[in-house]
Amino acid sequence: KSALTWEIVAQCSRTKARVAKLKLPHGVVDTPVFMPVGTQGTLKGLTVKQLEDLDCQIMLNNTYHLGLRPGKEVLEEIGGAHEFQNWKRNLLTDSGGFQMVSLLKLACITEGGVEFQSPHDGSKMLLTPEHSISLQNSIGADIIMQLDDVVSSLTTGPRVEEAMLRSIRWLDRCIIAHKKPESQNLFAIIQGGLDVNLRRRCIEEMKKRETPGYAIGGLSGGEEKDIFWRIVTLCTDLLPKTKPIYCMGVGYTEDLIVCSALGVDMYDCVFPTRTARFGNALTSKGTLNLKTSKFSQDFRPIEEDCDCLTCKTFTRAYIHIHSTRETVGCHLITIHNVSYQLRLMRNIRQAIIENRFPSFIIQSFKDLFDSVDKYPKWAVNALNSVNINLTSESKNP
Amino acid sequence: MASTFSFELIVKPDRCFRLGRIICWRNKERKVMSTPNFLAYTVRGSVPHLTPDNLREIPVEALEIPLENFLDIQPPPSSLYPHGAHKFFNFEDFMLFFDIRDPGEFKKASFNTDKIVSVSTLQGVCKITSDTYVKYINSYNPDAVISLADMTTFEKTPGLKRIKKSVNRTLDWLDYALANIKEGIQVFGAVVGHNNHEERIRSAQETANKNVAGFLLNGHGLGATSRERLDLLKISINNLPNDKPRIAYGFENPVDILRGIFEGIDIFDGSYPSKKTEEGNALIFTLENEEFISDDTEKSLLLYLHDEKYKTDFRPLLSSCKCYACRNHTRAYIHHLLRTREMLATVLLMSHNLYHYTQFFKKIREHIEKNRFITFVDQFCQRYDDTCESKTIYQIQ
Ligand SMILES: [Zn+2]
Ligand SMILES: [Zn+2]
Repeated sequence: KSALTWEIVAQCSRTKARVAKLKLPHGVVDTPVFMPVGTQGTLKGLTVKQLEDLDCQIMLNNTYHLGLRPGKEVLEEIGGAHEFQNWKRNLLTDSGGFQMVSLLKLACITEGGVEFQSPHDGSKMLLTPEHSISLQNSIGADIIMQLDDVVSSLTTGPRVEEAMLRSIRWLDRCIIAHKKPESQNLFAIIQGGLDVNLRRRCIEEMKKRETPGYAIGGLSGGEEKDIFWRIVTLCTDLLPKTKPIYCMGVGYTEDLIVCSALGVDMYDCVFPTRTARFGNALTSKGTLNLKTSKFSQDFRPIEEDCDCLTCKTFTRAYIHIHSTRETVGCHLITIHNVSYQLRLMRNIRQAIIENRFPSFIIQSFKDLFDSVDKYPKWAVNALNSVNINLTSESKNP
Repeated sequence: MASTFSFELIVKPDRCFRLGRIICWRNKERKVMSTPNFLAYTVRGSVPHLTPDNLREIPVEALEIPLENFLDIQPPPSSLYPHGAHKFFNFEDFMLFFDIRDPGEFKKASFNTDKIVSVSTLQGVCKITSDTYVKYINSYNPDAVISLADMTTFEKTPGLKRIKKSVNRTLDWLDYALANIKEGIQVFGAVVGHNNHEERIRSAQETANKNVAGFLLNGHGLGATSRERLDLLKISINNLPNDKPRIAYGFENPVDILRGIFEGIDIFDGSYPSKKTEEGNALIFTLENEEFISDDTEKSLLLYLHDEKYKTDFRPLLSSCKCYACRNHTRAYIHHLLRTREMLATVLLMSHNLYHYTQFFKKIREHIEKNRFITFVDQFCQRYDDTCESKTIYQIQ
């Protein structure tokens, strides 16, 4: 069962990139899409009106955090996270497992689920696939994620295979536990570490479960980027072309461009919003740290061609005064950064639709890096695999 | 640049309180501030927590910028912006006042001399001369400026000699400002005199003899109770002409504000809504005599949103309020945001508190206009006096 429709609108003639309309219960999402992270039912001080003005179509909430506060009962009483935060558009929630393993030192994984000490009273608790889904059912997000057995992408040996196999078993338990398949889409998460064969086996099994979409998990954990992209491209090759593919934890400009060329449709990352707090503004020419005093008399906007509220209204000098001392400075940079990410994705989609994605990629890398020899090797290799020779094509415009 | 500035009294009953209007023409733009009113409080050039789109939802008419917020670097880089403060801070729609000290914080700085005023900045105490003050103000080019005052606020028991000196210095600095502030910026004179009646009278009369646009009465550090403080300010007010506006600082709660208006104050510093926001309080005092709502808000000025009891309270902060927060969010959500230390908490609280404050003053003006002010003050004070810090009984003479 599925509560989404997926319609491919355009396909790049050279790379694996595609543009699609993902129809979810709370509206259409144009993919490839970047989903900003609003961990605790709010996105870093932005109002829902500001997010709507930025044309944000889908946002993430974290199940682990919402489960602690406001808690399942409150969410059920008001009718879910959409109601609670007055967000009329789409939501995606993670399973809570990853956050638990990364935030709680004493978490350990058994066949039953993720065992952890309650941060409230220290008592032993167990997050099972059933609990995770039940909590996600109460939250009511349009896309929910299976509980998976997360291992660090640097782990090797039999633990990786165990985690992959367990993730398949947990997927089955999640599917059974899922009470609202008519309004919430449960995505499977492909595991298998950096091992090509394990990834193949996982995809083969999970494809049989016919979930409405698939996520590529267990990456972005500090592994070699040259291995990262090979796993991503393997997954997009093997997963059904008729369903959205979500690469978890990806959000840097060059990663979004490359992964879109490899055929990924959805991304999330805390980076653009988290980095705003430290005064960092994203631009197509790299990051500006607005805390540094060289901006104190810079009366230009963050980016000349950005049409966000911040760039239309304020200079870098103004934001410099506010950058870390006043919340307004943080809000203004967050607005710009979210706007930057969403505009980047809009430009990627437009380039694919107009069948000029390869030249878009070439130009973006030129803007982002000072010279061709500064291009990351992995990106050059990854793009090569989808028929784009970044180095030679950059030289002959 | 042509500019005019006028203060019109619309209703002047036989009592002290009045209804008025400041009209300010600059660059062919007309700005109006109805009085009684307040100057919205800013920190480092923004209304705390509010980005311009959120501020635009609130019918604020005038803002005040404390110059000391920018004096950690001299000259302040923002003063070098060629198009003036209105544009730099994106306050083009508002009447903009500058003063040297922060009227809300009023932190202790060191002593002043004949030439120097001590202020408090991010880098600690710093000194400013009256000619640098004038120079900076001229480059910021606001609508109005408060002339420097030699405040005795932090001196335990200033003797008559000290008080006389403070009156003289303040008058000297005013002369300098009147001679050197460029045309188009209105100069308000500070009336001082601490607790000495004769000196308060002398300060008021001599300031009134000069070509000032209005007066500033700083209540910080005066009197042991708010009644005592108001009585001291009243001595000054009795010696001021009726046809110019009077600004006052240091009035903390709505009961004191009403008493201040009753004694003839037109404009207040707007730090109260900000202070309550930082505490996690929402202003909920009722604005209608008849509309004494019978729920838990009865008889309280504030709603302390940290309180656990709001966990499942799905009502808006104040059901009759039309602010962004009340139109879109619940007490439960704001309670959640406070508990999780999310920045949206103060955004929503500030939106509500500032909006509510504008409505409070709007009601006051309506009541004066309809000749109901005394009844309103009487009922308001009877209802809320216990909840204010000052327990003095309100008396109508
Ligand atoms: Zn921008
Ligand atoms: Zn409100």
